[in-house]
Amino acid sequence: MEIDVKKKQENELVFIIRDSDLSFANAIRRICMMEVPKIAIEDVHMIKNESAMFDEVLAHRLGLVPLFSDSESAEALLIPSECDCEDQCPKCSVSLVLRKKGPGVVYTKDLSSEDSKIKPVHDTIPLLKLMEDQEVELEATARLGIGMDHAKWEPTTACAYKHYPHITIDEKCDQCQKCADACPRGVLEFDEKTNQIKVVDLENCSMCKSCVRVCDHKYITIGHKDSDFIFTIETDGSIPPEEVLIKACDVLSNKADKIITFCEGGS
Amino acid sequence: MIPVRCISCGKVVSAYFDEYQNRTAEGEDPKVVLDDLGVNRYCCRRMLISHVETW
Repeated sequence: MEIDVKKKQENELVFIIRDSDLSFANAIRRICMMEVPKIAIEDVHMIKNESAMFDEVLAHRLGLVPLFSDSESAEALLIPSECDCEDQCPKCSVSLVLRKKGPGVVYTKDLSSEDSKIKPVHDTIPLLKLMEDQEVELEATARLGIGMDHAKWEPTTACAYKHYPHITIDEKCDQCQKCADACPRGVLEFDEKTNQIKVVDLENCSMCKSCVRVCDHKYITIGHKDSDFIFTIETDGSIPPEEVLIKACDVLSNKADKIITFCEGGS
Repeated sequence: MIPVRCISCGKVVSAYFDEYQNRTAEGEDPKVVLDDLGVNRYCCRRMLISHVETW
């Protein structure tokens, strides 16, 4: 298997997997979305809420706020089910405090965390509005969790793959250029030097087959390679996408190990 | 209040809402602002375009 990184940004990673198979790519995708742990607000203790927004709506909004954590402080935190405390303790939770007097909009920058390394990714998310003389005071507890339990623990937003496209143009092609005009993504172009239709941006092809439909003699065919995939991982900023991928691979290999020990008669 | 995340894909669109509103109020083309903010998918774009702040 070969991996070729195409695009790498702060919150987005695009790479090509070659010589793999569909089931493997899908396993990685599902684990990236559902089983990579991240930190999110789980419990909110409302001390005072005089705003028009209901407590549960506010708690839900707080839960969806992505919290940034470097890998060290996230790994130091225990998964609540594995912690030996009864309810919550500093080993498995981080608390954040919000205290604000109206009038005005309360933003995530007003949330102060007890751990300076674990804080909201964005400072500009509006949480609620306060009128004159209204006040809000609450204590929120953030914990580790996985996407399978709640969408707020999903580290990825867009996490998807597509087959690597494969375009073949027959030698008998009459160069009518209809296919190049029909392509909505600029994949095909007419090269005047060689007087031929050329594939200029193969990876951008969405396999919509607009070009096949306009070709009168079916000289062009669109297919895909079964073993190659273009994979995109976009995160909400709480964990870098490379780390999501690495952690997903760890989870997958742990699962494989479990199956092996089970088959060998262990428990 | 605008939802914190895009309902379809989960991107945190509310973080860009204030900037989007200020810039479009000044007469900038919403398309240019959205492209500039990195809100690329149409699910996320409709979250900002169609939102009406009522109070």
